[in-house]
Parts: sequence; structure tokens; C-alpha cells
Amino acid sequence: MNDETFLNERVEVIAVFGMGHHPCRPVKFRRASGREIEVRELGLRHPVFNGRRTVHMFDVTDGGADYRLEFDSEGLTWRLTMEADHYE
Amino acid sequence: MSEFNLERPLIMHIDLNSCFATVEQQARPMLRGKPIGIVNRATEHTAIVTASYEAKAMGVKVGMKFREAKVLCPGLIAIESDPPKYRYVYHKLLDIMREYSAHVTMKSIDEGIIDFHYATPDVLTRDMVEIAHEIKRRLKEEIGVWMRCNIGISTNRFLAKTAAGLNKPDGLTVLTSHNLREVFCTLELTDLTGIAHRNERRLNSVGIYTPLEFLAADVVTLQKIVFKSVIGRWWHDRLRGREVDDVSSDVKRVGRQYVLERFDLSYDEILGRLHHLCESVGSRMRSQQKSARGIYVYGKSRRYGYWHSSTLASLPFYSDATIYALARRLFEKAPDELKEIGIHVYELEPLHDEQISLFYDEMVRERSVTEAIDQINRRYGDHTIHSAHTLESGVYVRQKIPFGSTRYL
Repeated sequence: MNDETFLNERVEVIAVFGMGHHPCRPVKFRRASGREIEVRELGLRHPVFNGRRTVHMFDVTDGGADYRLEFDSEGLTWRLTMEADHYE
Repeated sequence: MSEFNLERPLIMHIDLNSCFATVEQQARPMLRGKPIGIVNRATEHTAIVTASYEAKAMGVKVGMKFREAKVLCPGLIAIESDPPKYRYVYHKLLDIMREYSAHVTMKSIDEGIIDFHYATPDVLTRDMVEIAHEIKRRLKEEIGVWMRCNIGISTNRFLAKTAAGLNKPDGLTVLTSHNLREVFCTLELTDLTGIAHRNERRLNSVGIYTPLEFLAADVVTLQKIVFKSVIGRWWHDRLRGREVDDVSSDVKRVGRQYVLERFDLSYDEILGRLHHLCESVGSRMRSQQKSARGIYVYGKSRRYGYWHSSTLASLPFYSDATIYALARRLFEKAPDELKEIGIHVYELEPLHDEQISLFYDEMVRERSVTEAIDQINRRYGDHTIHSAHTLESGVYVRQKIPFGSTRYL
């Protein structure tokens, strides 16, 4: 199958809130271990609705692995929920 | 070909290329350029729902078992489907399309039609090919750089779809009376939407083996001999670029099916999954403001094949509890060794106040409870309130990609 790790890790995120079609872009995030990851590309941002609560899913990459960051628009918290690398 | 529709081509069919695989490659850049197969469950026995172009180049086809596909393409990567992601892209595409005309019809989650006959004059004065290029560019800007689509432009829906099927991926084709024969030369009968093997056999029976021969057939042959109905005339018009498919279909039934996650589930565990399907169907039906009178339950058994049973109630029903009670009664006769179950409700009617009956109070109470549950679920999320019986089945019977209908997207 493929090498995906599912997580539920609180992370610190630096994001730019700007204009245009992608108004929020994570730039960098720090994992619980202290490791910092620089976002090279925002692949896709899509919302997931759970009733009236909205969580924004950010699929990003640092060029070595793909990550999913989830931003809870109500709690204003970021979580790293998936990491996937060397798909083999 | 003077009988061909010579109007300006104003129907545009847009088809996202290998939609789910492309969206995953867009979302996860490390997957780009790699052969991937979208599956509904991450197991070796699962079937491929969509394959990326890299996988298709290695012979991987939609519907193929992942295990078999892996033999053809050892590097194939299975990615579990993520419907919210595809729904988001669907809505983005729909938003873009609606900026050009009020008359937009989505045929499924990954393809839709813009009818420019109803567009504003400032849009109508523009070149359709230029608009098509603009839509392609906007897909990349507004969703992501990996997004591609095929666009077909013609005078009717059928030929626009045919055109959209050419030059994949990222193609753009205008099909008119000028190039119709040239394009038809390159196609098989079964490449035409609506011509599957049964219709192919009908056409073969009168010596029609190619789209060009189909195009050359006269209306009497098609109507009286091949299709034996007005359908023959529709085909005659359709092939000549005249519109016969601009019809909206009303919802006639609401259903869901589920391939069991294991083959050794107990009868009660299978009932739990059936109950979950009933709750899902009930919720979908009520979201369309409908109640139903008919219910149909089926099962596919590894030993006994396809089984089904149905019943028609005298009064319309709409609550999950009633749907499940009826389904369960039908299901008592289901065979053993089931591998798939499904249910749909039919004979749909607008949801309105029930006729006065002896059970009026009971019915009003049931409706109030059902509406309250639906409101809570809309506010706090699906299955916030559900039957205790489906407490454990929700992990398995998750919502998957809705093919065909776009009513619930």
C-alpha cells in the first residue's frame, strides 16, 4: 500500500493570511519534537464540515514528504494529522 | 451534411481528467508523476475507483482489483478516497462554470455542462475556445497547478461529451459538421456515450459496425428496426448535433449499498450495517423533502448470487426507524454468505402533511422526533444522534464517493 502515518499532534504554525484564491498559507510549522518544517508548496486547502463546525485541511509538502495540517476555525488550533513519504 | 445542426456550437462539456487521482496528486505533490490508484478501502482485495494517468499507461483500469493491478504496475500506490476533498473541487469547478452561464448542469462529481445559449451578451460575443482556455487556466489558479480537464464544445450535449473524450489528458476539441466524419473515423461504436454492448448488437444486426455507418443510417431504419421506438429518431438527431438530451430528471429513488468489510460477520452485525444504510438513506431522502412508499433491499451472496426483495406500503414513510423496520422484515429471507448489501426507497412523494388517519397523532409525533434529530445532526454533524444499534457500524459504513447523482454533494 503506501507509507502514511496518521497522527493527532498539536503543532505551532506560522501562516500568512493574504488575498487571492488561497488567502491562508502555512509557511512553517514546529512539531512537538522541536523539528521545524518549512512548507514548500500548499497542495490543496479544503474545508470539512462537522455540523456547523468547520475544520480546514491543508495538504502541504516540504519537498521530502507530504503533510496534512488541520486548522480548527472554532478553537483556532493547528494539528498535524498525516505524514507520508517515499510512497512504495 | 446539410441536415447537421449548423448553429454556432454553444454547449461546453468539461471533464476533470482522472478526477480523484488528479486531486490527490494536486493535494500531495510527492505523488505527482507516480502511478496511483484511488481505492475505497486500503486492502489488497479492494477495487480501483480511479487511476492516475501514470497508472493507466501501465494498463491499470478502473474497476480492477488492486491486487491484480499491482501485478501490471508493481509501483502502484493505493490512496484511500477522501470525498470531502473531491466535493470541494466539485464546488470550485461549479462556481467557475456558473460565472459563464446560468444554465449549468453537473452530470457527476467530475463532469458538467455549460449551455451558453442562456449566457449574457458579453460572454456570448467571446470565442468559445478562448473561454475554454480561460477555464483551464482558472482551474490551475483557483484549485492548483496539477489540475487538468478535457473540454469538448459542440452544438449538443452528446457531441460535446464525445469531444471531451478526445485528446486526453488536458484536451480541447470543437466538434462540428466540418470535422464530425473525421472524428467518427477514429471511434468505435462503444466509444459513443449510450452505446454499450446491447445497443452495439442491435446496430450490428442491421450491418452498422462503425460510428460513420451509424451516422449514415436513415431515421426509419433506426426507429423501426434498430431501436423500435422514438429512441431511434433521438439517435438520428443526436448524431447530427441536434439537442435531445436537455432534460432534467427528477429524483426517483434514494439508495446506498455497502460491501461488507469481512465475510464472517454475524447476522446481527450485518443488520447493524443495514440499519446504518437505512439511516443514511432516510437522511438523504428527507434532505430532498421527500417521503417514500416503496422499499427495496438486496444482497449479493458468495454462494447464492444476487437476492432482492421489495414491498410497497399503503402510506408514505420517512423516519429511519420505519425504513429499518421494513428493511429488516424483508431481510429475514436474505441468503447466507453475503458480501454486499444495499437498500433503496422509491415511489417518492413530496413531504407534506399526512392524510387524516386513525394513527394521525402517532404519525405527527414520529415526524416531530425525526425532524428534531435531523436538525441536531445538521448542527452538530452526521450521526450525532442515531440508533444505538448502529453505534459500532459507523466506523465501517462511511460515506464514500457518490457517483452519478450530484444531489447530495
